[in-house]
Amino acid sequence: MDRRDFLKVAAAVSLSPLLSACEQEVRWTKAAYIKPRRSQVAILAAKNYGKSLRDTILRGIQMCRVEVRGKRILLKPNLVEFDPKGVINTHPAVVEAAADSFKTLGAREVIVAEGPGHRRDNEYLLSASGLYDVLQEHHIRYVDLNSDNVRLTPLKSAFTRFNQLYLPDTLFNADLLVSMPKLKTHHWAGVTLSLKNMFGVVPGSVYGWPKNALHWAGIDGSILDINSSLPLPRFAIIDGVIGMEGNGPLQGQEKKSGVLLFGTDLVAVDATAARLMKIEPRKVKYLETAGEFLGNVAYEEIEQIGEKLERHAQDFRVIDEFSYLKKLLG
Amino acid sequence: MLQDATALLLANQNADGGWGAVPGNRSTTESTALALVALQTREQAALGPAIEKAKTWLIERQNADGSWPLADGLKGPSWSTAFAMLALSESMESTERVIRAGRWALAQEGSKIGLLAKLVLALRFQKRAVHLNEDLIGWSWTPNTFSWVEPTSYFLIALKKLKRQLPPKAFQERVPQGELMIYDRMCENGGWNYGNSSVYGERLWPYPDVTAVALIALQDHRERKENQMSLQALGEMAKNTGSGLALGWTSLCYELYGKDSAALKSLLERRFGKTKFLGETKAIALSILAMGNGVRYFRI
Repeated sequence: MDRRDFLKVAAAVSLSPLLSACEQEVRWTKAAYIKPRRSQVAILAAKNYGKSLRDTILRGIQMCRVEVRGKRILLKPNLVEFDPKGVINTHPAVVEAAADSFKTLGAREVIVAEGPGHRRDNEYLLSASGLYDVLQEHHIRYVDLNSDNVRLTPLKSAFTRFNQLYLPDTLFNADLLVSMPKLKTHHWAGVTLSLKNMFGVVPGSVYGWPKNALHWAGIDGSILDINSSLPLPRFAIIDGVIGMEGNGPLQGQEKKSGVLLFGTDLVAVDATAARLMKIEPRKVKYLETAGEFLGNVAYEEIEQIGEKLERHAQDFRVIDEFSYLKKLLG
Repeated sequence: MLQDATALLLANQNADGGWGAVPGNRSTTESTALALVALQTREQAALGPAIEKAKTWLIERQNADGSWPLADGLKGPSWSTAFAMLALSESMESTERVIRAGRWALAQEGSKIGLLAKLVLALRFQKRAVHLNEDLIGWSWTPNTFSWVEPTSYFLIALKKLKRQLPPKAFQERVPQGELMIYDRMCENGGWNYGNSSVYGERLWPYPDVTAVALIALQDHRERKENQMSLQALGEMAKNTGSGLALGWTSLCYELYGKDSAALKSLLERRFGKTKFLGETKAIALSILAMGNGVRYFRI
């Protein structure tokens, strides 16, 4: 046994009582338990970011029977960073098509909001990504969640040391939060989808850039605590037209997947998206735990109401540290 | 543009004398401090009442320990204390307040990774995910977390301006280490982002606004090769820089390093015409500082 092996064994022995104690503890309140008996997820083909996207998104929203008439809809794309050579962000065409679809369905107002995780420079991110032109053309209001007014919000679960988090006022003034992530692998969390996308609602002015306080508290726990405690109903639209594999969320390689995913159970949508990437969702730590109280992860508990998952599934590479995610449980 | 930006800033002042990050938002320390600095540099008698209201806002919000909170309604100290220090640094009647803030700032430091966390990281990741010296301590965004480039740069600028009025021992213990921390986080070809130069062996890229702020904080080491490399990197980034925030900081940095900022100012003017910087107070204030004679506030 060399020094490294010794340290591994020593750490495992010293941490095991702590870990087993944690496993026995229920870490969410009754109010946080929102898991439905069964969930529906729609996978729809979308080969490119062309004009047909609007019809596809309209159909996806309708298939999920989301009630939007008269409501203020908050679209939350992923705009964490920008690289002209990369595919980091939710494509502006998807945001545009979603905004148009929600308006067509009678939404009172559609707002786009994001709290970019790395940069304070909204004007740059919006302009460089192409989203600024979309917002201007369609007269859509943009809210920088990093610098919005905030409210101290008690958490409904306790997977981190936070008992409460400051959350932007804009969340409290909307009727539906639409998480619109990119289909990506992630070098810290395994995958980044509609649940992880909610890191963007946590204000950088309070928690910093990157949202380091959440990392210190634990990424998996933070994802769970944020998603258990958001003050409004949610819907997910995942941009998988072109996704990212490998060293995501910033430096991975593009992966053409040609799909959009929709659903009201964000856990079920993310679990389905993971399966599309041939990643086992029950091995993604935060998804496995989310499956206990926030939504459905098990394949048999998720009804595919769009196209067949198997038809679109593709092998997304992950970094070596997450190679265990690629062993599917069936 | 200077007049239009000043008029816009004035129009966006809240009734309480402060400014929000954007119009209509609750007043924040950073926005109010930057707006105050911008108006002070305009040296116009008509701006007097707005300036006094802004000063009063800041003075009334200072915490007992010398720090400032992030915004109205939020308790506790914050990184934006650095901006309040800067805004009040030339006000004789606020000297005692600013020194108190400086002493508080010198006592703050980002957290170190604990031994157990280091062990877990070493076990979990076969190769190091990030390359940085976690023993070098700067300033953090939020208490009890890691040091990052922006808050460290903000505090270095504010503290260096106050150097003669602060305890020399504490200054020497904190400021040079903060500088080393910033140098440690530099991207491979110069410049800075939020504070990681690479992840899993793949290089990350610098941001113009952060690079400019870091260079301003390190202006007293302008001959160092890292400064020169980063200045060059900033020049490359400036060719594609399209925001009030980045252009404002870059323009101020260029002036401090004796570089011609005329082209940047022209871009800044065009950008203001197009986007009004999304109404963001900090970008509008920085543009006023860059277009006018605001550079003196950042000269160390």
